[in-house]
Amino acid sequence: MQNLVRMLIAAAALALLASCAATGENTGQEQTTTGAQPDATAQPGITAQPEQEVYSYPYGQAPSLDTYDTFDTSGGSATAHAGGQSGQAVTGPSGGVATADRIVYFSYDSTNIVPESRTIIENNARSLTKNPQMITQLEGHTDERGSREYNIALGERRANAVRQTMIAMGVSPQQIRVVSFGEERPAAAGHDERSYALNRRVEIIY
Amino acid sequence: MKFFLKILVLTVWWLSLGAAHAQITLDITKGVEGGGIPIAIAPFGGSSPENIAGIVAADLKRTGKFAPQSPQVRADYAVVGQAAPGGSRGYIVRFQLTGAQGGQLLNLSFDVPANQLRAVAHRISDLIYEKLTNEKGLAGTRIAYVAFGRGVYYLVVSDADGHNPQVILRSSQPIMSPAWSPDGSKLAYVSFEGRRAQIIVQDVYTGARRSVSAAPGINGAPSWSPDGRRLVFTLSQDGNPEIYALDLASQYPTRLTSSGSIDTEAVWLPDGSIVFTSDRGGSPQLYRIGPGGGSPQRLTFQGNYNARPTVSPDGRYIAMVHQRGSRFYIAVLDLQTRQFRVLTSGGLDESPSFAPDGKTIIYSNGRGVATVSVDGGAASREIALRGNARDAAWAPYGR
Repeated sequence: MQNLVRMLIAAAALALLASCAATGENTGQEQTTTGAQPDATAQPGITAQPEQEVYSYPYGQAPSLDTYDTFDTSGGSATAHAGGQSGQAVTGPSGGVATADRIVYFSYDSTNIVPESRTIIENNARSLTKNPQMITQLEGHTDERGSREYNIALGERRANAVRQTMIAMGVSPQQIRVVSFGEERPAAAGHDERSYALNRRVEIIY
Repeated sequence: MKFFLKILVLTVWWLSLGAAHAQITLDITKGVEGGGIPIAIAPFGGSSPENIAGIVAADLKRTGKFAPQSPQVRADYAVVGQAAPGGSRGYIVRFQLTGAQGGQLLNLSFDVPANQLRAVAHRISDLIYEKLTNEKGLAGTRIAYVAFGRGVYYLVVSDADGHNPQVILRSSQPIMSPAWSPDGSKLAYVSFEGRRAQIIVQDVYTGARRSVSAAPGINGAPSWSPDGRRLVFTLSQDGNPEIYALDLASQYPTRLTSSGSIDTEAVWLPDGSIVFTSDRGGSPQLYRIGPGGGSPQRLTFQGNYNARPTVSPDGRYIAMVHQRGSRFYIAVLDLQTRQFRVLTSGGLDESPSFAPDGKTIIYSNGRGVATVSVDGGAASREIALRGNARDAAWAPYGR
């Protein structure tokens, strides 16, 4: 078990490093705010980064949206990629999986961490303090109500609330990265309170 | 038109003496919707792969100012035309616009390739619209929006009527907040490629992309300066979301706000000042700062949620997302009169963007994308777009 965990951690760390390299990101002080990206994407059909699957096309030679026959036609409502339910695994972005023991849920318009969530954060903080080389990405999410960019800010507040709690539990700030997806990656697709409750969350990704 | 409205009002008043109130509300909507200047549009002669008369009729109807009719009906104005193979490029399209007395108002022809027939139809709509209203039309303009399906995000540019949707970016990670450069040649947007936020500027016509900001934390809500040389956007690299301005010729952004609260969604006004969303007063409201920052002046006081401002090209109106109870609406603030008006019937309305005419607003409603007029004259109207479309931005007039 211990071995398996260690292997998973190593794999996760490698994956994180790989994604850093691919995007030119540095977690350190080096200036990454501006600067040209490789323009490999200028050509149609060329990926920006091999594992990212980003393609850009010049208008006039671009494929029509009609050629993509991948849209959910059931009811025409916004659909999510994973129909996450409480206690089920939720597929995180680009394959990272947050199981129920790595998801912290929030009330409407709140960044308060409820007692049940404290246990989840504690368990993850323990792994991080035991393994100082381990890095986690805290991904903040909101429900779909209100302005999208404002929700990005609210999602970051939630992720920062988890971050602060982890730091108070002894985790080094260097081990934590924070990203907010706002309402862009719902775990549940519905437009009801039950879905909203599942979407107001922070996923602890390794 | 005025006369028609007067009759309608009288009829409604007379009907209201009766009982059927719900029915009367419906009648009013229908009456105004069906109103407009009658214009007879005959099917174009010749043979063309596009139904040009149909496109023109739909364009003119969408303006809310015209009531296209079949050619048998007597109307104030009439359009006849032909589209047939010929010319040096593939098709010759001719049309005439005549007034009620038979006087010719427009008589033009176009020599175009087959793939430009839709564009020519939109051009004809705008020529007619401009001739009869003395205002620029929107039929020939475009919109950008984000579509989503089965885990894939698309940045799409389409005609204003939703046709001709071209995918200029496809990504497995979210795409947000497209913003057109003032010359209509570039889009700034937020991309989560690499599982983190970046602000990208993409040349629409070449597909070339440049990452202009990839700081730790939020890189969000880009908006262009009126001269197209600078961007404002949101960064949280110093701990909480603040507004920054970046001269695109330089490397480093300048911070414009300083508070412990959320500052985001900045947009530039024509005079160089900047309006943004901030919850520094406890709830999200709109504030205004000068071109270089300074102390913010609060603009909105209605309710406890006003966010995501968009500014009309003349700088007179600011449209925004406004919450009342549990519903979100698109509202507009007239900076001249300080009048605040709610424009939509509400729900999940968000992401307003002004059309270049300064009168039409495009927004998302949770199901798709719709338009509404700033004076409330034309009822809200959905644009048929595929793929859970949202986050639409109306392009400026053609370059």
